Amino acid sequence: MPIDHKRINPPEDAVPYKLFTKLNTKSSQEQYQQILDKNQIRKDGRHASEHRKIYMKTGVIAHAKGSAYIEQGQTKIVASVFDPREIPNRLDYCLKGEVYCDFKFAPFSCPKRRLHQQDSQEKEYSSIMKKALEAAICRHEFPNFQVDVYVLVLHNAGSALSAAITAAGAALASAGIPMFDIITSSTLAIQGKDVLLDPDFEEETLSEIAIEKEHGIIVISVLATHDQISHFHQVGNLPLNVVSDSIDILHKSCKEIVPLVQKCVIRSVLAGISET
Amino acid sequence: MSRKIYIRLATDRVNTSVAIEGLRAYPSIYTPGQIITNQNEFMRGHGTYEDNGLLKASVAGVQEKVNNLISVRPLKSRYNGEVGDVVVGRITEVQQKRWKVNTNSRLDSILPLSSVNLPGGELRRRSVEDEHMMRNYLQEGDLISAEVKNVYSDGSLSLHTRSLKYGKLGQGIMVKVFPSLIKRSKTHFHNLPIGISLILGTNGFIWICPIINNTEESVGGFVQNLEEVVPEITRATMSRTRNCILALAQSKMMLFDTSILFAYEESKSITYQNY
Amino acid sequence: MPLCDAEKTFVLHGVDANMRIDGREREDYRPMELETDVVSHAFGSARLRLANTDVLVAVKIEVDSPFPEKPFEGKLEFFVDCSANATPDFEGRGGENLAVELSNCLASAYRSNEALDLKKLCIMKGRKCWKLYVDILLLEVGGNLFDAVSIAVKSALYNTQIPKIKSIHVDGSQIDIQVCDDIFSCTRLDISGAPLMVTVCKIGEHCIVDPNAAEEQCSVGAVVVAVSRGCLSTVLQTGTGSFHPKTLKECLKLGFSVAQNLEDSLMETLGEIKPNQDVGFLK
Repeated sequence: MPIDHKRINPPEDAVPYKLFTKLNTKSSQEQYQQILDKNQIRKDGRHASEHRKIYMKTGVIAHAKGSAYIEQGQTKIVASVFDPREIPNRLDYCLKGEVYCDFKFAPFSCPKRRLHQQDSQEKEYSSIMKKALEAAICRHEFPNFQVDVYVLVLHNAGSALSAAITAAGAALASAGIPMFDIITSSTLAIQGKDVLLDPDFEEETLSEIAIEKEHGIIVISVLATHDQISHFHQVGNLPLNVVSDSIDILHKSCKEIVPLVQKCVIRSVLAGISET
Repeated sequence: MSRKIYIRLATDRVNTSVAIEGLRAYPSIYTPGQIITNQNEFMRGHGTYEDNGLLKASVAGVQEKVNNLISVRPLKSRYNGEVGDVVVGRITEVQQKRWKVNTNSRLDSILPLSSVNLPGGELRRRSVEDEHMMRNYLQEGDLISAEVKNVYSDGSLSLHTRSLKYGKLGQGIMVKVFPSLIKRSKTHFHNLPIGISLILGTNGFIWICPIINNTEESVGGFVQNLEEVVPEITRATMSRTRNCILALAQSKMMLFDTSILFAYEESKSITYQNY
Repeated sequence: MPLCDAEKTFVLHGVDANMRIDGREREDYRPMELETDVVSHAFGSARLRLANTDVLVAVKIEVDSPFPEKPFEGKLEFFVDCSANATPDFEGRGGENLAVELSNCLASAYRSNEALDLKKLCIMKGRKCWKLYVDILLLEVGGNLFDAVSIAVKSALYNTQIPKIKSIHVDGSQIDIQVCDDIFSCTRLDISGAPLMVTVCKIGEHCIVDPNAAEEQCSVGAVVVAVSRGCLSTVLQTGTGSFHPKTLKECLKLGFSVAQNLEDSLMETLGEIKPNQDVGFLK
């Protein structure tokens, strides 16, 4: 990966100071034990199967066709959608429009500083978003055109990808792009027998490490009224039946977010009417 | 329960070429730049060039001599059309008054609107409406069988479908092989006794489909029946034939109705064939 | 090249009748050909041919220092190269998206320590570790890339030999590693958990595995299921299209059972390999 030399980057072998603090002396096992108490209550007082509170607003960026800001717990994300434009550098005619997604963590959004250029994780998230959104958009309505969706994570406190998909869906809807359905997304973190809905950053990172044999993260996005899963992504090491059960949990949770997005979109439409 | 998955080691690879076992000697094969003859009385054909009075090969292949004309035919080549050939092709583009057809030759072939039988009578004037309706008759991706009407100087072909046996193809399987493997014969349309029809396009595209009854519907073949479900027995025969053709092609055997039938009969002794 | 409606209908009816155009049933794989130890400069390599798909994988090993967050672990990286030899579409940057998708999928499938224990690649805590570079070269593309790549990667890792360390000298910040001189004394990787991926394609009302190029065109959606040690290590969707939760579960179930079948066959084949029997690209 080439590094942009015009920007001032920290020395390559710089290490976040947190590694040297006392917190880090605990093994991941000990850290994990503190996350959930006996009554399935997490550190922030939520039950294991409880989603964080969501705040959402559309129309936050003036010059974009549509935009949305989402706060899911501490996770803060801005998504913006720009007008459909002709696909650049494309000679042959394509019947279906394309979606271009750009997912970016702000350099200060994570405990470890992110570089300005997209790294492989951001590229992966971009392509997941693209697939999730493509199924929601009526792509046949704008052949040979491309919709640009930009997502910037200001603060990553876990479940950034699903929050980004939900926000991008709202931004697309407020931009007036024809869509089949409202798209919502949800994340599940699993470690051993514990199943945590909408994990925060610590829970998410700990679920990626194999403390117990069964662990992993599942992200799905759902088109609620059509009962369709537009994207499914899982990493880790999980038995088949656990994944099957998780689909139901996530599907339900995604459906619960829908009214919120609907309300948010309605509000933005009403605001548009009162302005004119 | 799925069947066993076969993973073979490369050391167990079998050489499928049958030519090695044959007792006949190889024909001499020329490589580009190799001198064929230094005599002047020969005429320069395809795949050759003249240099300082010498006739040299420009492609790798075998020599063909017709009277004084020497040409070198490459072993693998795209299709070189000749007038009267039966071809199977795929529509790539709909243009003004003509379709572009991919026939595995170097250039796309042309099917003019004037060389097709339009529904509703053979001798009908082609109106402006027909031009607008062209995509309804044949659209991009559709397969047709046709005959070569004309070969232009640049090697591109002009096709026609002005016979009831030609036209749009319905449900079936297309197999691609090297054009040189298709044996030219009197007819390239075969209704095999095993219950399927074959169109052996001289361009190397082979069409396998259920038996076609040419007699009843004689509209010129622009209808596709997408509702009809091919019965399972026919389907099995078609799949087996497809695999036989690919196996013959892999062993570089000539393809014509008898060789395919023989291969089919032979394959029946093998109950499970997975390719 | 796009198929016409009639051909697609034929493929669709075939999947419905459990008799695909090449005579396979829905859950059948095409036969494959595997070869290991094909690249002499690599520490391990494998070449897999699945019908028309041809994949070459080579593993290179270098000494590196571990990530400060994970001082006990070695490193593993995947690179996919879509050679323009495979299809003209890959010319220039054409294959980049596919390459990123493949390498991301492999990286997430191997992310869990259950898949490949990176702790075994540590030489000295926080200072030195082995880094495995897995380079994947697509020689020919004939559909079903994910499956072919995962099988080839697993075989290449099976074939990989890690040099043995004779001694480590620490002199302040200088670390001196002495590698065993005997080239035959190497350790092999434990690849029992290396995931295999199975692409499950939904055509009409049914799901199939190992789609050929024509079937890929008819599919309305596909899921890649990576399975290691009887657990799902990664699931992701390729292409666009959405699934009903019930269908998705069926796809996962099918992919899971086929992957275990594939695992058995592959391990059996890998066990049959005799040393010094290279065939190469000729013959």
